[in-house]
Amino acid sequence: MFKKILVANRGEIACRVIRTARRMGIRTVAVYSDADRNARHVELADEAVPIGPAPSRESYLREDAIVEACRLTRAQAVHPGYGFLSENAAFCERIEREGIVFIGPKAHSMRAMGDKISSKKLALAAGVNTIPGHNDAIETASEAVRIAAAIGYPVMIKASAGGGGKGLRVASDDAACAQAWESCRNEARNAFGDERVFIEKYVEQPRHIEIQVLGDAHGNLVYLWERECSIQRRHQKVLEEAPSSFLDEKTRHAMGRQAVALARAVNYQSAGTVEFVVSRDRSFYFLEMNTRLQVEHPVTEMITGLDLVELMIRAAAGERLPLAQEDVRLEGWAIECRINAEDPLRNFLPSTGRLVRYLPPPEAEGAVRVDTGVQEGGEIPVHYDPMIAKLIAHGASRSQAITRMRDALNAFVIRGVSSNIAFQAALMQHPRFLAGDFDTGFMNEEYPEGFSAAALVHDDPLLLAAVAAFARRRYIDRAVRTSGQLHGHGRKVGNEWTVLMGDRSYALTLDPIDGGYAVMHDGQTCELKSAWRLGEFLFRGTWNGEPVCLQLERIGLRYRVCHWGTQADMMVVSARAAHLLSLMPDKPAPDLSRFLLSPMPGLLTEVPVRVGQEVKAGEKLAAIEAMKMENILKAERDCTVAEVMAKRGDNLAVDQPILRFA
Amino acid sequence: MHDIIKRLDEKRAAARLGGGQKRIDAQHAKGKLSARERIELLLDPDSFEEWDMFVEHRCTDFGMDGQKIPGDGVVTGYGTINGRLVFLFSQDFTVFGGALSEAHAEKICKVMDHAMKAGAPVIGLNDSGGARIQEGVASLGGYADVFQRNVLASGVVPQISMIMGPCAGGAVYSPAMTDFIFMVKDSSYMFVTGPEVVKTVTHEEVTAEELGGALTHSTRSGVADLAFENDVEALMMLRRLISFLPANNREKPPRVPTEDPASRADLSLDTLVPDNPNQPYDIKELILKTLDENDFFELGPEYAKNIVTGFGRMNGSTVGIVANQPMVLAGCLDIRSSIKGARFVRFCDAFNIPVVTFVDVPGFLPGTAQEYGGIIRHGAKLLYAYAECTVPKVTVITRKAYGGAYDVMSSKHLRGDVNFAWPSAEIAVMGPKGAVEIIFRKDIGDAQKIADRTQEYKAKFANPFVAGARGFIDDVIMPHETRARICRSLAMLKDKKLENPWRKHGNIPL
Repeated sequence: MFKKILVANRGEIACRVIRTARRMGIRTVAVYSDADRNARHVELADEAVPIGPAPSRESYLREDAIVEACRLTRAQAVHPGYGFLSENAAFCERIEREGIVFIGPKAHSMRAMGDKISSKKLALAAGVNTIPGHNDAIETASEAVRIAAAIGYPVMIKASAGGGGKGLRVASDDAACAQAWESCRNEARNAFGDERVFIEKYVEQPRHIEIQVLGDAHGNLVYLWERECSIQRRHQKVLEEAPSSFLDEKTRHAMGRQAVALARAVNYQSAGTVEFVVSRDRSFYFLEMNTRLQVEHPVTEMITGLDLVELMIRAAAGERLPLAQEDVRLEGWAIECRINAEDPLRNFLPSTGRLVRYLPPPEAEGAVRVDTGVQEGGEIPVHYDPMIAKLIAHGASRSQAITRMRDALNAFVIRGVSSNIAFQAALMQHPRFLAGDFDTGFMNEEYPEGFSAAALVHDDPLLLAAVAAFARRRYIDRAVRTSGQLHGHGRKVGNEWTVLMGDRSYALTLDPIDGGYAVMHDGQTCELKSAWRLGEFLFRGTWNGEPVCLQLERIGLRYRVCHWGTQADMMVVSARAAHLLSLMPDKPAPDLSRFLLSPMPGLLTEVPVRVGQEVKAGEKLAAIEAMKMENILKAERDCTVAEVMAKRGDNLAVDQPILRFA
Repeated sequence: MHDIIKRLDEKRAAARLGGGQKRIDAQHAKGKLSARERIELLLDPDSFEEWDMFVEHRCTDFGMDGQKIPGDGVVTGYGTINGRLVFLFSQDFTVFGGALSEAHAEKICKVMDHAMKAGAPVIGLNDSGGARIQEGVASLGGYADVFQRNVLASGVVPQISMIMGPCAGGAVYSPAMTDFIFMVKDSSYMFVTGPEVVKTVTHEEVTAEELGGALTHSTRSGVADLAFENDVEALMMLRRLISFLPANNREKPPRVPTEDPASRADLSLDTLVPDNPNQPYDIKELILKTLDENDFFELGPEYAKNIVTGFGRMNGSTVGIVANQPMVLAGCLDIRSSIKGARFVRFCDAFNIPVVTFVDVPGFLPGTAQEYGGIIRHGAKLLYAYAECTVPKVTVITRKAYGGAYDVMSSKHLRGDVNFAWPSAEIAVMGPKGAVEIIFRKDIGDAQKIADRTQEYKAKFANPFVAGARGFIDDVIMPHETRARICRSLAMLKDKKLENPWRKHGNIPL
């Protein structure tokens, strides 16, 4: 076994690899860019080597720097994690030439699977289902119908030059097929000047389901069941689970066997993933093979009880797989939520900055696992992807896993940067998710404009109101113990409170009971108990005997409570004050439509307009770079620029004005 | 006897109604509460003890003898906030527009005199159209009587002004002499001369809101310490402010029990100061993580943001926080921030509130605007305030402490009791680049030499040890132990005694 390995990655995956290596008694070397000097993976590793400036291509993607770091530290093997150099066959060969072991598949396997066309051919040869289709241009309507019938309806007829939904028709019978061929061909000729038209099987309500495979250098291969990854946003997975609620035993094994057949065809010797698209009728087709450890591998680990990183290391060291297919367990259900530094309110734009508060939920063996790459006081740099942690929950059943995930999300505190925690919590409540009724279109259908925690309504708003009232009572109970009071003239604290939540109000009576309050509202009494202390971000306690965990923050006179993906800002006042407050005018929020505000923190790279310029709707107003991405801000309507309030090169804060319009 | 009681009831009823229901409704329509509703919100329930309900004006001119309303436009008395005594007056806009008569002024003076004797804060809820013109000079005399008391009470009991309606002309000078001025957005304004006069004299067209509204004074002029959304929020927040203040200058600040451990360490502070000395960070994160329960009552949050001032508690007792804010103007001291800081330090000193100072200051802001504006005199105010201050002073240098600004910011030399520095502290006459260009002027132009010299200078001075070697700082502490070390220092300084030499008064550079 290796004595020392180098982890050529950063963030949560680097931390996760180090964790396993340490358990195996292997020393670890971290590499880091200038932006990651204080990062968690650097702190966790036994040694750390700087490899260059912040941008990935000048650090984490620099093969020579990694090789040099190995030499310097005498690391015997490299674990590449995912992304960066993990699927770079040339890098794999290069370090093996140096006598360093690459913990992953061999270069030839990577190459074979790295190319879309060759991998599809290999898959066909290995007896793996691929999406049926006709790859030559179709000349007549009758030919189209004949081919479609052979493939089986529904089919997709698409223009060779088409894209983005243009030049694309779906047909489910012969007549429709003939017509579709006709119109598609016309459209292709007119729109693209290229009338070639093809036919392919149309996958209805496609799901993205992938099979984890694992091999060694001795020709042993097993499949470790599937992962359901259909909930995606712009092809980025948001949430994964294992097993899939959609597969039956027969399909599961069929997919597994095909995945292994494909892996065998390329002499696969490590952990890898074969991705399939699965249709409504459970027919499945090969998409591609990922020749690396996947982000979502923990869900597989949770249901199989295996440590994939350990098995990768052992396989790389030449050991035999310690298990055969019949030894692979499938126990319970696991879900993983990707915790991203992004702002769901602004359609999931990345968020960067300092993690002022970072309190992940406590881990519980076999139930809750947190793979985190950051720590409180850490910085989310603009240079890398926005995923900062993965929260994994496991349960005996899917519903238990969901419940555990919900509780864990409720207890996950992040401040300083926006996160998708509330969104994930809302997802855990979504009826379609709960029913397992989703496909890859889910995010677009359900959250086309992003997500607002404040707009979501809680199932039990009384709980939120009671928590706010509880907190206010605690502050008052403390205030009445201030020194220097008039003797015998202390403040009398009433039991009647009005909680104002948006335009709703709740009249509550709070009677002290042991460890909390009996909360009366509308003839109903509930008990809220908690040992919450002033200023704490987590409110743990019981609500009618049921454990609850909410997030609580006092902001000025308001109490902000977050729970199950909802967020409510409340004031807790006496009935009299509530009445007087109702006399106060509603002040409309300032009109921000006259300003162009920065939707995210980032670098202002371009302001192509000047004062006095008239711009048309859709015209480019500014460009902001954040998280490697350039974001173009366009005019929402015709307007005239009255003032340019920021200049090129400025570091913008979120909501900072860039332009003012006349 | 029965007759008297009946008349008493009638008078009370009349007084409670002030200018009548119609005017109260009009007040509500303007988004304002009545004088009595405001008191109700400000004080503990049933704690208000009203005085002088039967006072009436004595004016006979212009038909005023026929118009008398018991109370004469101001409600006065005392009560409690969380059981602690406060005196107050609340002007009633529904009675003669809250205009100040001789009798009205006498009522205010009475509560102020009592507040001085009893040693308790005076809170003024201002909502007045100005002088009672019908009374002429008698009304002006009334103002002056109040002014005189404001000055005598200054530094004896806390005085707080909440501007909840108009406050114009001479009337502004009573609040101006109190310790804190708060305003309500959209319904209050303060100016010496109104928009009409401004237009006649300077031909400037400006609305009352722009000239002297809450936003103007809390962001541009610095006259107001805070601006609130409405009357209710303003009064609830005023209660919160009072909870930090001692009742008078003989008393220690109030204490509350706290469950936040004094020894709480916060490891995230170890990464607060960025590696790059030119990169800003938010000093408020340090303030919030250092104080009890993340609770900071900031004053002047929208004015001179390069210095942060406000109250919090450490181990249950009030402290005043002064901190340079690297996020704004790199934390430089300028005219506005010097004045803002000086006023706050002097308040703390007057009322026995320990001052905790967080220092990250690259110096004074250069430029003609500053020099012509008198940065010499105004900057001296902060220096003067810190030097004169005898309450416990604990200072933490987080990063830069350069030049004269180092001296100013509660340094050892100005009788700082405990002066800490973080390992990232750089205590020097100036930053490395500037220093090297002066000391090694002849090497300018030789980039390599300058770089070497800069490196040399950095190694020598860009650290806390030079100051440490002279005892100018008492210890170098890790950021995460900041709270624990300050709490312990303050406990040690609890009974600190230090007096300045006797004099009539010092001559602060005004």
